[in-house]
Amino acid sequence: MNFYSKCQTGLCVLLLALSCHAWAQSPTDELMMPHREICFLGSYEYGQFDEYWEGSTLRDNATIATVQRRTALLMAAYGLTNKLDLYVGIPYVSTNSTLPNGGKFAGTSGFQDYAVGVKYQAFKKATEKGEFSAYASLNFSNRASDYLSDYQPYALGLGTPQLAWRAIAHQKWSNGLYIRAVGGYVWKGYTQAEREYYYNDGSYYTAWMDVPSSWNYEAVLGKWFLANSLRVEVGYSAQRSTSGDDIRAYNAPQPTNRVNMDRVGGFAHYYFPKVKGLGILAYFSQVVDGKNAPKMTGFGVGATYQFRLLK
Amino acid sequence: MKKHLLYAISAICLSLTSCHKDLPTELAFESYAYASLDVDGGTWRPVLISAASDLEIAEPAATNSSEYQAELTATKSAIQQMSDFQREKLAHWTNNPVVRWNEIALELIAKYNLIPGPNPDGTYTLPNPASPDGPPAFPFAHPPYASRALAYLSVAQFDGLISAWHYKYHYQRPAAYKVDPSVPFAYQEQDIPAYPSDGAVIATASRKILTAMFPLEAAYLERKEAEHLQSLLLSGEFVKSDIEAGAQIGDQIAVKALARASADGMKNAQTSKAVSDSIANAAFERFGWKWVNLESPQRPVGLTPLFGKVKMWNVPNVEATRPGMPPAPGSAEYEADVKLLQEYAAHRTLERRKIANFWQDGLGTYTPPGHWNDFANRFIVKYKMSTLRAARTLAYMNMAIMDGGISCWDAKYYYHYPRPIQQIEGFETIAGTPNFPSYTSGHSVFSAAASEVLAYVFPAEADMVRAWAEEAAVSRVYGGIHWTFDATVGTQQGRNVAQYTIDKARTDGAD
Repeated sequence: MNFYSKCQTGLCVLLLALSCHAWAQSPTDELMMPHREICFLGSYEYGQFDEYWEGSTLRDNATIATVQRRTALLMAAYGLTNKLDLYVGIPYVSTNSTLPNGGKFAGTSGFQDYAVGVKYQAFKKATEKGEFSAYASLNFSNRASDYLSDYQPYALGLGTPQLAWRAIAHQKWSNGLYIRAVGGYVWKGYTQAEREYYYNDGSYYTAWMDVPSSWNYEAVLGKWFLANSLRVEVGYSAQRSTSGDDIRAYNAPQPTNRVNMDRVGGFAHYYFPKVKGLGILAYFSQVVDGKNAPKMTGFGVGATYQFRLLK
Repeated sequence: MKKHLLYAISAICLSLTSCHKDLPTELAFESYAYASLDVDGGTWRPVLISAASDLEIAEPAATNSSEYQAELTATKSAIQQMSDFQREKLAHWTNNPVVRWNEIALELIAKYNLIPGPNPDGTYTLPNPASPDGPPAFPFAHPPYASRALAYLSVAQFDGLISAWHYKYHYQRPAAYKVDPSVPFAYQEQDIPAYPSDGAVIATASRKILTAMFPLEAAYLERKEAEHLQSLLLSGEFVKSDIEAGAQIGDQIAVKALARASADGMKNAQTSKAVSDSIANAAFERFGWKWVNLESPQRPVGLTPLFGKVKMWNVPNVEATRPGMPPAPGSAEYEADVKLLQEYAAHRTLERRKIANFWQDGLGTYTPPGHWNDFANRFIVKYKMSTLRAARTLAYMNMAIMDGGISCWDAKYYYHYPRPIQQIEGFETIAGTPNFPSYTSGHSVFSAAASEVLAYVFPAEADMVRAWAEEAAVSRVYGGIHWTFDATVGTQQGRNVAQYTIDKARTDGAD
């Protein structure tokens, strides 16, 4: 389903929110890499769902039983300057249905979408009580293999170029408590199916499908513990597509669907005080409401390692 | 890395600029001069009626009569007051609305090609024409249903147009823009008499047939008909009485077509579980095997077990086209095919995947019969066919497709052969396994039948369309839902079935 991949997009947001050390990471958080430092993230995630929203109706479907999705992600962040970070990442995804199921469909696997992004620290002000900062990020992603986005619900991704613009605001207090708000627009282009006709509230005589763009939001509450070596967060994120059709009754989803979702999650990242640059992390997320989306439950673990690349 | 980013950004700019391109929702073409006018078209042999004059319209008023002149004035004034919306529609309908009404049929097929899902208690409710609202809505426009809807649509158009051609050249009443050169004509000028309007025949016959096939779309189809009839007036070719006479012919031929449809046996095609079980058991006793639905929850009855008993168009007896017995499970030929299917599953090449998907035409799409109508429409425009020639092409092709479907379903439920997922332990597919027996493949028969008629009508395309049909057949094997012999035997079956239709076409007077 479109939504499998949409979910991945969402999870990427979460993954990209990971942070490498007291600085570092993602288009969606407030952490910046120091100039010329690089951080690597390797993570593994397991997600599954046995219910999904067909339009707004939550249902199960014995044809697909429980759909499982495993993602291995490799990411790197690099400090171009103290105020500008560069990101690259690539996930490898594998999907399948549990047995028994009524559809007997083969799962699939392969590289999903590479991502390249930058994040800029636009504003930072320290006060007596803490610190406020604001950021802008731009992230581009596109298919990294010839996977079929129209093979729903097992498709690895949306198979379309995506350009995500985000604004991030962060307030941190001196006791280690912080909040973060992220708002972004994700432009999604066209994806090419392997058929020359499809129905999207009318006939389309083309293999190209318009993938709906979306507004994405995130709100996070977090705290630093253990002398800034443990970071713990809980968060809420949402996606609202700007167009698209509904999954039709008992029919497979397609990339043209309007995928909306609300998700809650938790995240923890521990930095070993005695091993410079090394961290481990774990997270959990649950889609709690949606439209044309899977009710996906996911959790992941990963490790981060940061060092100075150029002297 | 910066270079990569630059590349990415320029790629985005390119996609953004092309981002508002319109995706095509219909075949793009403008009005054109017909390759042939077929002045003798009224003498061609129709399908449902014995002769063109079986459908009756009144003798038209002469162009110098006050009655005609008043209608001419009304046409002129309507053209003068044309809105932008009407102008857009005029361009949309073109001077070959056979293609446009076929596209409406394809759209409704795709809209209604949704298989009913299970109820919460694990039972299934089937669409019921007596209460079409459902749920589930009527109809489930699966491939046999689609083939039948398209056949009746095209046959009614064809007979109606033969009749229209007869009266056009009988009465020889010229087009409005010829009577009065001050009337602007929206399409290509051609020397075709206007009474009755061929467009109106198509509009009314199509609306009536499609309304019977898709009853929930009655209001939508009425709007389309009204819009089309209005466009005919605004084209500058017709006055009101031309259009009314065409609509009368359309109405009469639709009544005849629907009378045949109501008695063709389709209403008995979906059987009770008892009948379905007895068909399966008969096959088991005869052959030692039977197909079983493996969905969850299991569907108690396969799709239209008695579609094989529906009245055929051009094949006198369905058993004349029934293929021989498939290889018995355990035989050497069977075991070799199991190996081949496992090999395809283990090595899903990009090329085979693309072929499987290109021809899949599964749930929610216009089905394989629809795909072949899509191809036919492109050829019709490419070869600049008149409305009459276009309807003839589609009528013969869709009769052959429906006959192919009937013959295929006869074989499916006679042999009741299991699908690969039933026979091969742990086998998985990349296409959805349909709810009916395996042998022979519907895609193969539909496609071969369609391609043979297209090869007959468009000899220059013969090699290409036959290659397409073979690719459509093997696509089902690549998809993992058919045996190789389902495809190869099905292709031959489709060719055999089509020959009956082609033999008829050769003698209808058009060649």
